[in-house]
Amino acid sequence: MEDAQLVNDFLGGNHQAFNKLVGRWQDRIHHFAYRYFASSDDAAEITQKTFIKAYQKLDSLDDAQKFGSWLYRIANNLCLDELKRAGRKRGTSLEALKTAPQAPAVSGADSKLVRNEAIVLLHRALLQLPNEQRMVVIMKEYEGMTFPEIAEILDEPLNTVKSRLYYGLKALKKTFDSWNINKEVFNYE
Amino acid sequence: MNKEEARLLFMDYMYGELDQDQEQELLSYIRQHDDLRQELEELTEAKSLLQHLPVESPKEQLVIMEPEIKATTHWWKGLFSSLIPTSTFARTSFGLVASVFLFVILAASTDLNMSLNDNGFNLTFGEQPPVQQGFTPEQVQLIVDQVQRQNAQMVNRIVTDAQVQQNLLLDETLSSFASYLEDQRNYDLQQIAQGITSLEQTTFNRFLQTDQVLGEIIQTVSYEN
Repeated sequence: MEDAQLVNDFLGGNHQAFNKLVGRWQDRIHHFAYRYFASSDDAAEITQKTFIKAYQKLDSLDDAQKFGSWLYRIANNLCLDELKRAGRKRGTSLEALKTAPQAPAVSGADSKLVRNEAIVLLHRALLQLPNEQRMVVIMKEYEGMTFPEIAEILDEPLNTVKSRLYYGLKALKKTFDSWNINKEVFNYE
Repeated sequence: MNKEEARLLFMDYMYGELDQDQEQELLSYIRQHDDLRQELEELTEAKSLLQHLPVESPKEQLVIMEPEIKATTHWWKGLFSSLIPTSTFARTSFGLVASVFLFVILAASTDLNMSLNDNGFNLTFGEQPPVQQGFTPEQVQLIVDQVQRQNAQMVNRIVTDAQVQQNLLLDETLSSFASYLEDQRNYDLQQIAQGITSLEQTTFNRFLQTDQVLGEIIQTVSYEN
């Protein structure tokens, strides 16, 4: 059954239809929020708030076919609200990240540990991006959205979205180089 | 194509959103510019490194609970859900039909009356107010006859008044003319009388002069003799 049909069923009074929508979209919203905050607790909180808000506002959705974009827009706004609300705490955290960590040299002793540390650094590098660039990188790289979809969710021009992704990737490459993160770290067995 | 345009197409190319012609054009251009090729390789490497970030799934499945409804209202809910359709169009239609039905019931119970005439839209409830009926043809003919009679009388009166007025004016004019003629006649007679008197006086004076001259002549002739 399509999302649009489930949306219409819910609006018609079938509450179970909304639980089916939650089942379909919970993982994607959780992944999105987790990559944005690098925190399981924050991701769970954002996911829960997203679906509560969707439950309350679903009757305001103009086009049921665009349920997914609409849901991501709610999640995106909640992430930004969370950043504003806890900006001071997160700012302190991001400041701490600026003391450049280094990926350990691969010596063959404990490749799994090296790989895990590199993953932590990847996440830190993502967190260092400006919010608007990080959002576009996550939507494109991990959620697999098209540029027009991202532009619609963020309510930004198409070229602005592409520009943010371009500068986001350039900034990430620079950070990866300075932290000595490269494909050898992940390819080592 | 220039370098800026090529950079704009990097994102589309890396994520497979470039059509074949544009892709060929971009790759051809990049082959001629080492710096762009280097930049694209760096961006691609950053992209590939991001793929190593693992996914963390939620620990528990969210469930949105259906709002609890008091047991006493369950049969109402069942009744309504069985009566009211679910789709928006059907609900709208149902609402319209229900509104019309309600309106008809209310109109019947309150003796609602609506009418539209030259004075505007009338909306009344309850007993109808007396409505003024129109004139019958006989009444209309009677009124027309009466109006015609009144008009004829009025015209007749006006004509009579005008004739009387005209006669009066004529009398006054004739009287004035007669007075004028009389005055003129008297004046003429006075002039004639004065003329005759003057003529008599002149004649008398001539007679006197003649007598005087004749007397002188006679006296003269007598002396000579």
